[in-house]
Amino acid sequence: MISLLRRSLTARTVFATVTLSAIALATLGGFLSYSLANNFFQNRLSQVLSETERAVSSVQGTVAAASLADETALQTLINSVVPSLEVSGVSGARQVALLRSPGQPQLQLFQSPISQDLDLATIPSTLREEVRASDGVLTYTSVAIVRDGQTVPGITVGAPITLPLAGDFELYLVFDLGPEQQALSTVQNALAIGGLVLLAVISLVSYFVTRTIVKPVEQAASVAESLSQGQLDVRLAEKGTDVMAVLARSFNKMANSLQQQIQQLDSLSRMQRRFVSDVSHELRTPMTTIKLAGEVIFGNREKLEPSLSRSAELMQNQIQRFEELLADLLEISRYDAGAVTPDLELHDLNAVVGAAIASIEPLAKSKDTEIQIRLPTAAVEAEFDAKRIERLLRNLLSNAVEHGEGKPIVVEVGSNAQAVAVCVTDLGVGMTKQQLERIFDRFWRADPARQRSVGGTGLGLAISKEDAILHRGWLQVWSKPNRGSSFRLTLPIRSDAVIANSPLPLPPRTMEG
Amino acid sequence: MSNKILVVDDDDALREMVGLVLNAAGYETVFAADGLTAVDVFKKEEPDLVLLDIMLPGQSGIEVCKQLRVLSGTPIVMLTAKGDTEDVVLGLEAGADDYVVKPHNGAELLARIKARLRPIPEDGGIIAVGELTMDPRSYEVKRAGVRISLTPLEFKLLHTLAVKPQQVFSREMLLEQVWGYQYKADTRLVNVHVQRLRSKVEEDPENPKIVTTVRGHGYRAGTDTP
Repeated sequence: MISLLRRSLTARTVFATVTLSAIALATLGGFLSYSLANNFFQNRLSQVLSETERAVSSVQGTVAAASLADETALQTLINSVVPSLEVSGVSGARQVALLRSPGQPQLQLFQSPISQDLDLATIPSTLREEVRASDGVLTYTSVAIVRDGQTVPGITVGAPITLPLAGDFELYLVFDLGPEQQALSTVQNALAIGGLVLLAVISLVSYFVTRTIVKPVEQAASVAESLSQGQLDVRLAEKGTDVMAVLARSFNKMANSLQQQIQQLDSLSRMQRRFVSDVSHELRTPMTTIKLAGEVIFGNREKLEPSLSRSAELMQNQIQRFEELLADLLEISRYDAGAVTPDLELHDLNAVVGAAIASIEPLAKSKDTEIQIRLPTAAVEAEFDAKRIERLLRNLLSNAVEHGEGKPIVVEVGSNAQAVAVCVTDLGVGMTKQQLERIFDRFWRADPARQRSVGGTGLGLAISKEDAILHRGWLQVWSKPNRGSSFRLTLPIRSDAVIANSPLPLPPRTMEG
Repeated sequence: MSNKILVVDDDDALREMVGLVLNAAGYETVFAADGLTAVDVFKKEEPDLVLLDIMLPGQSGIEVCKQLRVLSGTPIVMLTAKGDTEDVVLGLEAGADDYVVKPHNGAELLARIKARLRPIPEDGGIIAVGELTMDPRSYEVKRAGVRISLTPLEFKLLHTLAVKPQQVFSREMLLEQVWGYQYKADTRLVNVHVQRLRSKVEEDPENPKIVTTVRGHGYRAGTDTP
């Protein structure tokens, strides 16, 4: 039930409507039935009181008018008057009792006349006490009358009466409210049945109204769902001019432009990929010839006169640089075209870091730079493309050596439950905030005027960033002028996981304080 | 006697330059500028090795490769501008022995050529693998007296495995011993050539008995239970 409510908008709306209507109907019905009952009771009460008044005055009148010689005559009179009260008046069945007030001399002969089927329990003693203290005013109370095994409401009215020769008496009339109760029940039943029918009608109406509104929304939802799953040619039906039709039209317009843009991007990406492939072939073939020719000349430079020999050396170096630039350019174009898929396998990050450091060692030695390594003793395993990550680390290390000004470089490896990380930190020139913002831009150099000894294509960090993104990892940088720079690479242990936090702090602990 | 190498490339400058490098290393060279003449030149000159560009006008290097394989088992080294595309696998499946990615340097190219022209050391006589017999002197492989034609590379691959039937060879070991790579190379070379070899020597290539796979390690000659 709850899952249905959670799932279906229609069920939720109908349920809410029915619940609220039920509460409203119950309140209304309760109020109606209460005020009806009250009304019935008050009417009957005033009628009952006036009848009782008449009865009391008729008894007193009769007794006063008669010339009573003895108790027997009184008894006879009373016996004839009291039962007559049972039938006079308009309010149907009633019972009468003339009870003698306690605390008077006992009259042996006199008997209190009481209606035959009167249950004395309908004249509570509290009422009798009130009547005796009432000083002639009518006193009443609601009672329960048992009739034919059923309890019905009633009213007992009492008044004190003084009879000559016999003393103080109390006259009680017990009125049966059964007919009123029955009328009230009939009305209440009618109200309840009417309410239930109304509720059923409301639920049906709300169901159909909700359906007519929800159905187009549901259709829109399912179309949007299939659109998001890549079925770009699904559309909503556009019927009429109402708000749903407006929704359908603007939805379709949106889907059209989305489809167009995706197709455009798709064809752009295809063109880009073809361009990369064409450039690859067109540039590589002349490059190969130049490279082979350069090698031959360079290999025979001893045979040349000094200026030609030096030219051959310069050419050889620049061919090397040109080749690296071409390779990096092609690499980044492949990323742009989305044509790169990493070769993900489980590797030990420590080993890859070691290999990268080993390959950068000659450069570090030439710049007299010490590389301090802080590796965990256990293997740090994660899924990554070892070739790309080693290239990335080589790039970070050669940057650190280049900008480290001969001060030691710290390489730290760490891991936590979801991620592994490497941090490469130098204590060199560092960078300003403005420089940091552009650090991963293509062909951007921290200081164009600075003499470069290591070279590099200017694409290294841009490719490194792409490699990190390819692994769904992070490549982050911290730097302060004249303090140094720290690059942190964080990779998820499983390639489909998302990293929450990095195992290593940035800036590294060595930089704090 | 110097080896003769056929260089097939549509780029005139590169073709000439490769020729110069090969001549300087002591090889004789012949040339073809497109896929159609390549096969004719091959038939006429009978070179010891073919350097074949993949992207050729006329017909592609892959098509040329297939036709040359029908004619003979002469070593073929592909020149490709695209190291990581399907072209490499297609070329290897068409019968090329090895490949070099442009732009390459002279040393790299010569190393590949030298490895392909190196003869099998004559360190023994006829050996048997399963139902096959191998004769390293005549490069002959026979099953029940019927000759099976293998390229020199395939022969070397099978011979390397067959000499040490108890040893499991990893792909890296085979790359070093058969292809002559000193450093990490493309293991697809091994996979593709093992498939080609099996299609020739196995009675049921789907269920190999002569070159068997040792899962997670590599390959070995014959089954565990001889």
